[in-house]
Parts: sequence; C-alpha cells; structure tokens
Amino acid sequence: MKDETQSIDRRRFLTVLGVTGAGTAALTGCSTGKVEKLIPYLVQDEDQVPGIPTWYASTCTECSAGCGVHVKTREARAIKLEGNPNHPINAGTLCHRGQAALQGLYNPGRTKGPMVREDATRKDLTWDEAIGRLAQQLTAAQGKVAVISGAGPGTFSDLLAAWTSALGGRLVRYEAFDRSPERAANRQVFGLDELPVFDFAQARFIVSFGADFLETWGPVVEQQRGFAQAHGFNGQGMAKMVYAGPRMNLTALNADQWHPITPGSEAALALAMANVILSERSSAPADANALAATLSAWTPEKAAEATGMTAESVRQLAREFASASPGLAVAGGIGAQHRGAIEVAAAVNLLNYVAGNVGRTVKFGAGLPATDGYGAMEELIAAMNAGQISVLLVHDTNPAYTLPKSTKFAEAMAKVPFKVSTSLFLDETAAASDLLLPNHHALERWDDLAARAGVRGLMQPVMTPVFKTMHTGDVLLKASQKAGGVLAQFNATSFEAHLKQRWSGLARGGDPAQFWRDALQRGGLYEEPAPSPGVRLSANVPTYRPTDLPTFDGPGEFVFLPVPSSMYHDGRGANRPWLLENPDPVTKITWGSWIELHPETARRLDVRDGEVLRLRSPHGEVAAPAYVYPGVHPGAVAMPLGLGHTEYGQYAKGLGANALDLLGAQDGNGFLPYVSVKVDVEKTREYHQLARTDGNPRQLGRHIAEAMPLDHAQKGWTVEESLKQEGHERHEVNTEREHVALEGFREKQIEKQKLGAYAEEHPRWGMAIDLAKCTGCSSCVTACYSENNIPWVGYENVTRGREMSWMRIERYWEGGTEPGEAFGARVIPMLCQHCENAPCEPVCPVYASYHTADGLNGQVYNRCVGTRYCSNNCPYKVRYFNWFPFAKRSFESPLDLQLNPEVTVRARGVMEKCTFCVQRIRGAQHQARLEDRPLRDGDVVTACQQACPSGAIVFGNVTDPESRVAKAKENHREYHVLEDTNVRSSITYLAKVHA
Amino acid sequence: MRKLVVIGGVAGLVAIGVLVPALNLTGAQPQPAADSTTAPRLAVADSANLKGPRQPIFFRHDIHAGQLKVQCQYCHYTVGKSSEPGIPSVETCMGCHMAVVGSDSTHRAEIRKLRQFWNDRADTAKPKLEWTRIHTLARHVHFPHMRHIKAMGPNACQTCHGDVARMPQVFKVNNVNNMGFCISCHLQRKVTRDCTACHF
Amino acid sequence: MTAIAHEPHRPNQTHAEVTRDVLATLSTPSRGYYMALFTAIFMFLVGLFTFVMLLKEGLGLAGYTPPVMWSVYITTFVFWIGIGHAGTLISAILFLFRSPWRTVVYRSTEAMTVFAVMTAALFPIIHIGRQWIFYWLLPYPNERFLWPNFKSPLLWDVFAITTYFTVSTTFLIVGLIPDVSAIRDKVTGWRHKVYKMFSLGWTGADSQWRHYNKAYIYLAALATPLVLSVHSVVSWDFAMAIIPGWHGTIFAPYFVAGAIYSGIGMVLTLLIPLRKVLKLEHMMTDYHFDNLAKLTLLTGSILFYAYAMEYFVAWYSGNAFEQTTFWRRAFGPMWWAGWSMIICNAFVSQLLWFKKIRTNLTALFIISLFINLGMWFERFVIIASSLSNDYLPGAWQNPVVTWADWGILIGSFGWFFMYFLLFARTFPVVAIQEVKEMIPFPRKHGGGH
Repeated sequence: MKDETQSIDRRRFLTVLGVTGAGTAALTGCSTGKVEKLIPYLVQDEDQVPGIPTWYASTCTECSAGCGVHVKTREARAIKLEGNPNHPINAGTLCHRGQAALQGLYNPGRTKGPMVREDATRKDLTWDEAIGRLAQQLTAAQGKVAVISGAGPGTFSDLLAAWTSALGGRLVRYEAFDRSPERAANRQVFGLDELPVFDFAQARFIVSFGADFLETWGPVVEQQRGFAQAHGFNGQGMAKMVYAGPRMNLTALNADQWHPITPGSEAALALAMANVILSERSSAPADANALAATLSAWTPEKAAEATGMTAESVRQLAREFASASPGLAVAGGIGAQHRGAIEVAAAVNLLNYVAGNVGRTVKFGAGLPATDGYGAMEELIAAMNAGQISVLLVHDTNPAYTLPKSTKFAEAMAKVPFKVSTSLFLDETAAASDLLLPNHHALERWDDLAARAGVRGLMQPVMTPVFKTMHTGDVLLKASQKAGGVLAQFNATSFEAHLKQRWSGLARGGDPAQFWRDALQRGGLYEEPAPSPGVRLSANVPTYRPTDLPTFDGPGEFVFLPVPSSMYHDGRGANRPWLLENPDPVTKITWGSWIELHPETARRLDVRDGEVLRLRSPHGEVAAPAYVYPGVHPGAVAMPLGLGHTEYGQYAKGLGANALDLLGAQDGNGFLPYVSVKVDVEKTREYHQLARTDGNPRQLGRHIAEAMPLDHAQKGWTVEESLKQEGHERHEVNTEREHVALEGFREKQIEKQKLGAYAEEHPRWGMAIDLAKCTGCSSCVTACYSENNIPWVGYENVTRGREMSWMRIERYWEGGTEPGEAFGARVIPMLCQHCENAPCEPVCPVYASYHTADGLNGQVYNRCVGTRYCSNNCPYKVRYFNWFPFAKRSFESPLDLQLNPEVTVRARGVMEKCTFCVQRIRGAQHQARLEDRPLRDGDVVTACQQACPSGAIVFGNVTDPESRVAKAKENHREYHVLEDTNVRSSITYLAKVHA
Repeated sequence: MRKLVVIGGVAGLVAIGVLVPALNLTGAQPQPAADSTTAPRLAVADSANLKGPRQPIFFRHDIHAGQLKVQCQYCHYTVGKSSEPGIPSVETCMGCHMAVVGSDSTHRAEIRKLRQFWNDRADTAKPKLEWTRIHTLARHVHFPHMRHIKAMGPNACQTCHGDVARMPQVFKVNNVNNMGFCISCHLQRKVTRDCTACHF
Repeated sequence: MTAIAHEPHRPNQTHAEVTRDVLATLSTPSRGYYMALFTAIFMFLVGLFTFVMLLKEGLGLAGYTPPVMWSVYITTFVFWIGIGHAGTLISAILFLFRSPWRTVVYRSTEAMTVFAVMTAALFPIIHIGRQWIFYWLLPYPNERFLWPNFKSPLLWDVFAITTYFTVSTTFLIVGLIPDVSAIRDKVTGWRHKVYKMFSLGWTGADSQWRHYNKAYIYLAALATPLVLSVHSVVSWDFAMAIIPGWHGTIFAPYFVAGAIYSGIGMVLTLLIPLRKVLKLEHMMTDYHFDNLAKLTLLTGSILFYAYAMEYFVAWYSGNAFEQTTFWRRAFGPMWWAGWSMIICNAFVSQLLWFKKIRTNLTALFIISLFINLGMWFERFVIIASSLSNDYLPGAWQNPVVTWADWGILIGSFGWFFMYFLLFARTFPVVAIQEVKEMIPFPRKHGGGH
C-alpha cells in the first residue's frame, strides 16, 4: 500500500499547487493557521502545467455504445469527462452515465488492492502473491476453467478469448442488456448476423415499438443527436415520432403520439402496418410480394384487437409511415423484451423493408460483434452445477446481480472451488469470489474498444491509479508466465506493449509510431465503412402467425414491466451519487425504487402515492412504494431495474428493491425475457415517501413549457399568435398603460446603472434553449454537477426539496386527466435566468447577490450570510442553500480528487446557484487577453451546453448580433418563462413543436 | 439612503487612510544591509535569525535573483501563462547544480542536500523536498498570476511579494490574503473591482 | 377613611395604600412565582440547546423545505415584534392622548415591549445561515470597501429593530425613576445600592419633576411614530418581495393593526394572572380590562377587514398566481393554518362586542390566548404558505415543522417570560407616582398620611 498512498498524497499536495477548493475548509476562508507544504515535482512532466488543464482522449466504457471522451485533468487528476468531437458516435457530447464514470474512478467503494478470501474474511495480498495463486489454480484446473467477460470487443477481449481457449476453458461474453433478439431477427429476415445502425437524422417519420432509443437501447447519444436533428423543428418541418408501448418512458414522452398498447402486441401492430403498406402498394420493393402470404393474416382489425388501438388508427399510422420517406421503425430494448421479442424485431424488419427504409435509415454493415447471450450463460450455470468448472474468472460484469435469482447463478457459482473477480468494486459477484484482482479503471489503463465496424476507440491512462489495482491484461500475461505450459505463448512484456503491437498492424504502411501518436490524440481510429448495399430478404423468412403473441407466467393480474433505468442502466450506475440524485427523467424520483400504477388501477386497489406495495410473481416478490400516473398501461405495473443491490458499495447497498427477483429463469430462445411474468399487487398499508423533485406536476396554465403545432410553426407564428389560434389566449396581467410605465421604469433603471464599470462596454451573456430539441435526458444535470462541484444531498434532504441541482429538468404532465384523453408531458430545463432586472439582487442585505457589468447575476459565496431572502424572491426557485455541510459528505475521499479547482466548494450556510459557468467565462477572457484578441463567439461553452446530446442549448454574448445566441433569440418561437414578472430573464426558450 | 452611503464612504476612506500605509507595499528588507549586487555571507545557522520560516534547504533568493540576476520566470516558469506561478522542479535546480557546487562551504552544504533529494528521486520511501508555503490564498479567491504579469510586466512580482531579490530567506511582506490589499491596488490602477473577477 | 369621589379610572385607594400594595409586589415571592420563573428558565435553556445544535449541524435541522426558505423562525420574529407594539401604544400614544385608564397598566405593558423586542432581535441572528458573521449586516467601515445593501428591506429591519429597542428601553427606564427612588427609600443593603443607581439621584424636588415631565413627554413623542413605523418596515420584508401573497400595498397598515392586536392579546395574557398573583385587584379593575378589550375589538375588526380585502384583491386582480395562492390558503394542503388564523383573529375578536364578555376576565383570558395563537398562525400562513406555492408549480413543496423549530419557539417564550417575571419582582409593575397623581389629596381631617 505504501507506494500508492504516497502517490495519492503526491496528488493531494499538487492540489495545493492548484488553487483548488478541495476540502470544505473552502469558505472558512482567510488565513488558515496550519502550515501548508509545497511539494515540487522531481521531474517536471512536460504535459502538465500547474493551473492549466490537460486533456486526454479516451473511450467511455459505461455501456456498450463506446462513445469517445475527452478527459480533463488538472495537476494530474481527472476532473471532468466530455465528449470527443471527432468521434463518429457521440460527436462531442456525452450522456450522464458516461460523465458519472468519474465517480466510478474515485468511488470510495472501490477494491483497494488484491485480496483473498480465507474462511469468510478477506485479507490483502501483494500482487505477486495474488498472481501466484491465480497461476497455481489455473495449472491445477486442467482446463476446467470458465471466464465470464463483459469487456467490449477489442484487443483485450481477443487476448482473453485466445487465453481461455489455450487453457481449454470456456468463455462467455455476457452483457446484461444485450440485443440478441434483434440479431436473431436480422438472421431470420435478412440472413445477417449483425445489428444495423439507425440513421434517425434522415428519418421523416419514426415509429418505435417499445424501443427506448433515448435511454438505454443502442448508442443513445448518437440516436438522440439524430432524433433532435430529425424531430427538432428546423424552420421548414420536422419528423413525426410515434411510440407504441405499454409504458411512457422518456422516448414515449418525446413522441408526438403515444399508443399505450397491450404488452406484447407490438408485432401485431408492426405486421398489420406492413400489411397495409404492402396491400396499398405505396412504396414496397418488388421482392416484398413474397411476404404477402405472411402479412395478409395480419389485418388492422386483428392488430386493433391485439393492441387495443382502433383499426382505423392502425391504418392511418401505416399510411402516414409509408408516405413519409424515408421513415424509420425501431424495436428492441429491455423494456419490450418479452418472449415475442424476436418476432417483434422481425416484424419491424419487415415493416422497414416493405416501406423501403432498409439501406436508407436502417444501415447494415456496422457488424456489431456478438455477445454470447443468455443461452451460453445457462449452459455455464449447468456446467458449474455439474462441477465441470474448477476455476471461474469474472471480468467487468456482475452476473450475480444482473441475472435473476431464479437462475440460481449464485448457488452454481458457490459450487465452483476457486472464483476470481477482476471487478473494480466489491459487487455481488466479487463478494462471492475467493480472489479479488481489481482491474484499473478505464481512465487508468491502456485498452481499446471496437464500438462497431471501423470505429476503434483507444483508452490511455490519464493519471496514476487511485488505488493499488492492476490491469487485468497484465494480470493474465504475468499469470501466464508464472503458470507456463500452454500459457507460455502469452509472453508480451505488458498489455500496453501487446496493444501497441496490435495497433501497429492497423497502420497500413506509414510510420507506426506516428500513426500511434495520431490515434492516441484522436482517441482512436474512425473509418466507418459505407453501409452494405442492397440488403435483401432472406429466402426463407419464417411466417409469423397471430398465435405467436407472447405469453406471461403466473396467475397474476398485471403484466410486470421492468424498466431499464436511464440512470442505473443494468445496475452499474447504482453506486454513483450523481446518478442516484439525478431524477429519473420521467417520474422525477431519486434515491430509490418505485412501482408504477395506472390511476384506474390505483383507484380500484385504493392505493395512493408512496404506499408500499408488494408484487408477487411465481418466481419471487419485491416491495416498493407506489407511484401513480397515467403513463403505464392499466393492465400492467412497472418498476425500474438496477437497484436493490446486496453489495456494490455504501451508496448502492440496500437502496431500493431489485425488480429482477420477480423474473423467471426460462430462456426465451437465446435471450432472457424480461417482460415475462404477471404479478399480483398486495397492499401493505405502510408508507414510504418517494424522493420526488417534481413538486406540482401540472403547469396550471402558467405557460412555463410552451408548445405549438407544426403548422403554426411553419407559418412562422409567435407563441402568442399560436395560443390565440388555439383559443386559450394567456391572460394579460398588465394593462397597456402599465406596460408603458414598466418600459419607462426600465429605461430609468438602465440609466441608473450607468455608473463606474457599468458605464463601460461589456458583453452581455445570454442563453437560448430550444425545447423542440430538448428531450429531458438530463445529461446537462450531471455535467453541471461535475463542473461546478455541486454536492449531492441524499434521500432525506431530497424529500425536503433540498437537492442542489443548479440545472434541473422540470417535467409537466399534459392531459390524461380523464379516461380517453391523450396523455403526454413537456420538459423544460430550469436554471438561473440571470435576470437583467433580478429580484434576488435588491433584497440581499450584503450584496452577495448582485449584477455584474457583463450581465451575470453574480453570487459571491464568501460574502453570503445566508438570509435566503434572494431565494424567496426568485420566481424560478433556482437558488440552492447549503442547509448542512453537504460538501463534506459528498466529496469524501477519494471523491474529493474530482473537484474542479476553478470552482469554490461552498460551505454550510451559503446560497449557491448557476453562474453561467463564470469560471469558464473568466478563463476564456484570460486566454483572450493573453493572446491580445477579443473574445470570439464560441469561446465560452457552458458545461450544460457542452454536454447536451441534442444541441438544444446555445450560449454567448447577446450584444454581438453575429453570435449564435443572438440569432437564436430572434427565432419566432422565442418566449420567456414568467415574462409577466418583468424580471427580464436572460434565458430565451424556443417553444416546442409537435407534429 | 444616499446620505447614509456618503457618511459610510467617508468613514471607509478614513479607515483606508489608516490601513494602506500599514500595508507596507514596498516590503523593505530589514536584514543585514546588503546592496543588491553582492549578497551577505550567511550559514544555515543564521537562517534562524532571519525573518520568515526556515526552509528544508536554505535557498538564497538574494543570491539567485539578486546577485546572479536569474529571472524569476526561469524557475517560476508558468507564472506568465497560468494562474499558478509554478514551483520549480528539483530537475530545474539540478539543471545548474549538476555543475555548480557552490562557492563556499555553507553553500556546498545546502547544494548537497538538494543533490540528495535528486539522487533519491526513484525511491518513493525516501523523504521528498517540502518547501514551507509562505503566500497562501483563501480557497474562495482565484488569483490569475498570468493576467497580472501580462499587465504589469515580468518583474512585477515584488509588487505583492516584496523585494525577494534582497531576501536571504523569503518572508511574507504583504498579507496577500487580505482583500483590502487587492482592492487598494485595483483602485489605484482603476481596474476591475467586480466580485466575480476573483470570487467564483 | 373618608369617601373619595369615584370616577372609574381612579383607584379606590389612598396614597399610602397604593404605595403599600405596589411595594408589596416586591416582597418575598410565593412558590407559584418561583415555579413560573424556573419553567421560563427551563424553556429558555431548551431554546439555547437548539441554537447550539443549529450552530453545530446547520440550519437544516429546522423544517425548511425549499421554496419555503423562511418558516417558523421568521414567523416567531414577526410575532414578537408585533407583541411589542401594544406596549408602546398604551404607554406613549395613550399618554399623549391623556387617556386616564392607561396609568395602571402602562408600566407592565412597557416592560413587555422591551422584552418582546429583545426576543425578536435574537431571530435575525438565529435564522441566518452563517450566524457567526451576522455583523456583516451592520454598516461599518472596512478596508474591503464593502457596505451593506441599503436597498434591502432586511437592512431596514436592522435599523428599525435597533431604534425601537433603544427608544423603548430609555422610555421604560426614565418612567421608572420616581418609583425606583420610592423603593430606594424603603430598602437597605445591596438592593438599596441597585435602586439608588436606577433612581439617578432622584429627590423628588419640583425642578426635577418639571424636567422629568418634559423628558417624559418628549420620549413619548419619540416613541409614538415607532408604533407605526417599525411594523411597517417589518411588513415591507414581505410587501417589497414579488411573491404572490406577499406583494401587497395593504401590508403596512395591516401589519400595524395586527401588531397592536396581538400586543394587547399578550397584555391581557400577562395582566390577568399578574393581577391575581400580585393582588392588584384594587387598581386593575374591570374598567381597565374593558378598555383593553375595546381596543382589541377595534384592531381585530381592522384585521377582519384586511383579511377580506386580501381575498377580494386577489380575486379582483385577476392575477392567476395571486388567486391560486389565496385559494390554497383556504383549501390547499395548509388549510388548517389558514382557517385557524381567520377564526382566531377575525371571528373570535368579534365576541368582544358584548360587554358581558369584555368584563368577564376568564373569558377575556381565554380569548387573549386565542389571539396569541391566531396571530402566530397569521404570520406562519403569510410566510410559509405563500412561499410554498409561488410561481413555478414544479418547485412547490409544503413546509414541515421539526423539533428544532419547536425548540427555538419554546426558547423564545422562555426568554421573554424569564425577563418579565424578573422585572415584576424587582420593579413596581404599576406606576406608583402616576397612580397617586390621580388620587385626590385627602382633606385636612381626612385619613391618608
């Protein structure tokens, strides 16, 4: 441990070099008595300049999408993750899960070094001993070795495969949220064993059959970017999006139409649509006739009866879909992974094919590589039970949690004599293992990831490891050398060397060293191949009969819908406070599980929000508080996945309930059917308050999140005009004369302000947020947390509304009040509006809140005495108060290493709020001054703007007519929230447009 | 209201009148009278009687910066481009002291200490060089050194740090952690006094 | 003992009796008194403990639920400031109006004023986030060129409270001089020294009386405007903000009336038992309480009108935010608070139309308790419930009350009663001299001296 502690200390001392806010002595402020030490570098590391961030390109491993990231490091420690602009998949933006990888890196729950479990206690080992034990066990195992790996495709996975087969063992590439049903369907329909890339940006009409393409399904950042391009109003038009699925998830929330169809009936709808299109010959390719036989059985009437829609609406949907060219239909995802998942995917393939979208918006040739799916896992479990495995190595995945209890994985694992885990954390699997060989975090190691054909991302160590961990690649190599024999062939000096050697193969002539440097700088190798042309139907497309609709286990009354959470994903997000406190984009619930019921159901069962319900399925039961809303099919109840850990660190352990406990182990033909049980709902009459952040979920006609229909937008109408047309003109509070008076008052104010610095020329910072693009995904929220050292507050305080999120996404329900009325929602990012006429400023008795010359609403933390008057007087309620020393708990070591030195850590008793990332503004101004040039538009990018996958946020100097923000503010959809209060907000919202 | 402000303002100015002289902006060195070209001969033992904290190595700014006229930025290499002045790495010292062994026994003794640190660099168990920090700023203040160097030239250091070139042992001339010290300067020079220039 | 012509305001006693009775209140106290005193001190300690916890842990211990950033503490602050006003009204304004019935009660009410302000003055410190730098609210020259923001109503508060405290304290002490000297002449030992100090060398010479009366009138004149100004300033803490339910032009008079109303409520709560305990039935007669009750009825009715106006304006303005706020006041999640304020203040006070009730001390006492409760709730409703539902529905949140809120609330009462009880023992709660002035001089052959 010695050397490591030193390296940590060294970094800590370096933080003294940087004017960092680390440690919450922050505001206790001036003249601290203690003597501080300055530790000079021994050898100056040339790419580290104290006080200036150094950026490294790397690749995100938080899900299988493989986005490229830029890692911001200060004084040799990673402090922020941003998207890599050169990367074809995420093009410079990053989702909240990706950004929260930092809290994985610095997580207090990480395994600090190699450990062995002896009679129920774990004791530390040196790496030599640890690797020794592994080698010895491997030789002893005689090939009875099994490896479960969640590592994405790439050099490491290949090494692992070769290594395992050399041992004569079996390798299972396992990904909890894998997409095997789609791949099966593509085999069936097109004879291609791969997954296509969906070009949302090109689509003019999007239909999703239960696929949550904005949350967990596929490369969400890329899809969201594409969706925003297609569905965001661009001045002329926009694509329409229809979502058919039993639950309103974030994707459905963004749809122009949501059809809450019966669970499992997606295929019927898709096939019926295909049938209509084919029979009406709007745009079907010639060879589609072959399908006529299959499809003719699927009449709209049949679909209507299966889905609960009307036949007419099915027909109309089909016609709209066909007429829009190209359209895009997508299916898949855990939320719709029932026993008929393959049929749904296949049906959607047919639909796309019949509508002529394949090759246009559905692009094959990306050749997404295989995971082995659930079938292989079942075999392994059997093998373990049969005692055929004597050494089990689990790498980068957590099957003991992500597999339902009913699969008896844990029991089978217990039968294995020697279990090894390379997990970074003490997760469920690691806890059940004998030997812990903690791997480096992705930001600490050399690695690569082949996201898809032609997209190879590189990972490089951006800092010295936080703990005494070791790259699993090196572990394998060292162990091989120790074990010798069949493994002797793996003789690379280190994994790094192995990786470089493998990459030099990719150089194709040219100087490999130069190629490597470029690749590192770029973040990898991006040469996407052209989509494979002329994908045709395979000769023998199976026929799907109406009897194929999926079945559900158990006598229960409600179909159980597990919800893949956009925060916790398959459960790996559950130990990151940033994700736990970032509210679920739809339900706005933090810190815990919930059970969703339809109001009718709730009325029938007499259940109110927060009553703890117990769900019973044939396979198990779980209990969680109820959340009543019309966003779930009356015949179903829904519950988020990813919580209810029994291990996995202090934050995750024991938080919420694990929905997987309800599921059966039965194989849905190559995959695990998540939506496969019916449950009974039992009242407990106990109440557990949900930590919700949505206050009152209705707008009450206060015109907060505005929207207008497409035709109005096309006519170039303003929000006012559109509202008038719609018949509900907003009530004008101020009379004409009052308006004149206000103007006069304003003029006076401006004159009054022209004193001292305020008389000089200054930029005026402003922001424009396009609600037509914003999906409410909440990436900006996490970005804000990590940029501005925002503390998390935990369950109790969130229940009191004390969360500190400077940037919050407010979600307001629309309709759905009486049965039959369409139910939808609008989202609006709410942050400090930096009002020109800010009500918070005059009331502060000490000028802690004041207006800067460049139009910011400044907040001087160290001047604040905490009267909280400013927050009372803020109409937007975007000021946040440190009720407790929140920062102390939030940034417990080593999480404090993530703190941004450019931003003061707020102490207890002071008010804080969005500053428009003033540290970035000042930084840009310093830079411009050093280069003797004026600030250019785009020099300042706020954290939220930087992270937004759909590019909804524009920031800049509004006094410069050429700036993007000034242009955006001229848009006819422009409006201000709570304009009547005459606070002159600097944030312009552009009304949402719905097709 | 305005009247109150005026009264307060007057009172404030009086206070400033009292305080500013007390700040001793020049930082004159009360140590053994030495002209700026030749520094006094001093041994480690003397450092105890000198102002300012004793350092692990009796590093003589008066010799390096004063007598030998080494530019500040030769060692404090990032002060012109970063908010941090940059503490010279041991490597930087060795750049000269590979060759320079010191003119007399007292100097040699100190340089030997330096070399010791350098030779132990590989061994993490051995102690590291730890200077005692003299100027510390509260964590809620952001002081961009580069802007001040840019505005006031490369040798403006002494405005705040005093005439280091004449200090055998550096001591705190001005309490840089005192907002009044910053403000009075910004007033004189008529530059920004916006809070968010430093506090964010 | 010859008959004395009887007007109701004149105590039916001779000079000697007055002096005796009043000074009797200073003799060895009963067990009841000690029990009361110790309860008060205990309550104060509860508050002290809570405050220490606030300093240690943070304000989060109290039931703040943003957007309710002000809650029980500010409510209690306004409550106590309000209490003070009745005292000044009775001792200063009624003095200038030469209203005879004030004489007997004004001393105790004035003491009440001082202690109420002392209590209120604690809250601006208790409720801020960083209590240890509360002095940043005061304008003092500093090398940082930083001044408080004179635009902020909170700063006006600071001035209002300090002024009010200074004036009312001076007024009280000056008023005490002649009586203290009377005691000085009666007691010995260290107490003699103490009273000697307070009587500022009073001999009762004519010249002294002349100056004394002048000074007293001037001080009364000085205190009078404060009755109106202080609570107006306090009301502007709210009226100047843009929160629906706060942003009203009616607030200043509304709050002043409320203040006097609550003040008299507290006067009654204090005097009725005090009268019993200190056996002052001869001096404090139905007549005095009847007058106090009438004053209560008047201010109570003004409040009734103000409440009605608030609702009317909310409806008439057509401002959706205003309307929602007031609708939720009555029927929202905090309806209980809203209604207890209206019933206790607007309705209960109307009972005082009946002379029977006005002169029935038990009834008056109960009503006075209702008034105290109601006025506390009024402030709670105005502050907490208005904040809990303002402009953005997405931020709405209902306030909760935690042990820390109770602790400080209880502590404030303890602090107040502690001082009042101590005062009642050490100084005459009835102004001996002024009472005597009202008693006609006995004729030669009469009793008296």
